[in-house]
Amino acid sequence: MVERKMNPSPITHHPLRIPAGEPDFVRKVEELSGEDVFACYQCGKCSAGCPFTSGMDLLPAEVIRLLQLGDERVLSSRSPWVCASCLACEVRCPKGVDIAKVMEALRLLVLRKGETGLTWEEIPPGVPQIALVGATRKLTP
Amino acid sequence: MKGHRNPSPITHHPSRIPYFPGCALKDQARGFERAARAAMERLGYELAELPRWNCCGTVYSLSSDDLMRHVAPVRNFIRVQEMGERKLVTLCAMCYNTLRRSADFVSADPERLRRINAFMDEEPDYAGGVEVLHLLQILRDEITFEEVEAKVERPLYGLKVAPYYGCMLLRPREVGIDDPDAPEVMELLVEYLGAEAVDSPHKVECCGAYQTVANPGIARERVQEIVGAAARRGADVIITSCPLCTYNLEHHQLGEEKPHHPSLITHHPIPVLYFTQLLAYALGVPEGELGFEDAAIDPRPALSQRVGG
Repeated sequence: MVERKMNPSPITHHPLRIPAGEPDFVRKVEELSGEDVFACYQCGKCSAGCPFTSGMDLLPAEVIRLLQLGDERVLSSRSPWVCASCLACEVRCPKGVDIAKVMEALRLLVLRKGETGLTWEEIPPGVPQIALVGATRKLTP
Repeated sequence: MKGHRNPSPITHHPSRIPYFPGCALKDQARGFERAARAAMERLGYELAELPRWNCCGTVYSLSSDDLMRHVAPVRNFIRVQEMGERKLVTLCAMCYNTLRRSADFVSADPERLRRINAFMDEEPDYAGGVEVLHLLQILRDEITFEEVEAKVERPLYGLKVAPYYGCMLLRPREVGIDDPDAPEVMELLVEYLGAEAVDSPHKVECCGAYQTVANPGIARERVQEIVGAAARRGADVIITSCPLCTYNLEHHQLGEEKPHHPSLITHHPIPVLYFTQLLAYALGVPEGELGFEDAAIDPRPALSQRVGG
């Protein structure tokens, strides 16, 4: 069971939802994240506060928008791999969408096929193990 | 729904707090731990290290179906339970976040805990109810800053300190130890120690975290923003509660590459201390016991210049 704290509308009954036309990957993202991407009304607070947008090809709000539209381009976006799960978006979303969880779900769609988001050429010397464990847990299968 | 209650009602020794160190405190961040132990001793408390503790997992899993990622935290909670205690205190902000969120995750649904207990059949079952705390909470809520102030032997008059919170102490809101957008716990501590707190707009913004491995350029950009803002406000030192923040704030200040904007250039690197080091220093713990020598940017000149050594 997925915990839903702030958003009152259960996933399956959202008025914006068009179940028949919904691509499989959107459903998977919602299942993995436990989040309702259709709750987003595109206010853009997540994008405004995200400290990592300089490295992103899609802003966080655009990632959510493409998911709402079932647009597959979101699957090849660089943005989930630049997200550091800092949760700045999560505390500010007025609709209670945990965008970091959506980003994690997008990574997992790739990682669970055995692909990796991180290739080591060399481990930079002196990097603490919390950085290495954190990066491998988030960015490798 | 409410979590299970730990059968052992309250802590046996109120001044002896079960303590989870985590990996970094035994390696890069030894000064963080040494200073915390020394400071707590002066305040009449003992940090009782968990026997056979294991890695917390470092980063909390954000997926709904990944029970496996909660096994490591739960195993640590079983150690607390075996001590007959309920509280667990951490120093590292990442450990705090991962352990605290896992504690909440398993107590929110008995089925999750049942499956994890069944999986760990070589361990006694975890009954729930362990309360994960950060040392700043113990200082603020249990010991109180007034009590800390009364034990200050070396007031930090004149020292300008910029607290840097980063993410894991504050977010998500349910586990945050303070207001996620406008925290003040470290500012208060600093001022009770006699120093001046320097507020900075980037104090709650991520330092780049583990992206320092995958996208070091982005982490560098983050650090230049954070340190640049503190420098412009006249900070002598920055304090943190996270070994990864400290690594990033130090390492990316010392890099060769110039900031992308002239306003971010700092004229000299700003030392980064753990809050426990500043606390222990103010409480009169001898400088040689605080691990200052491990810092990439030596804080001793700034401290002796301001506080008079």
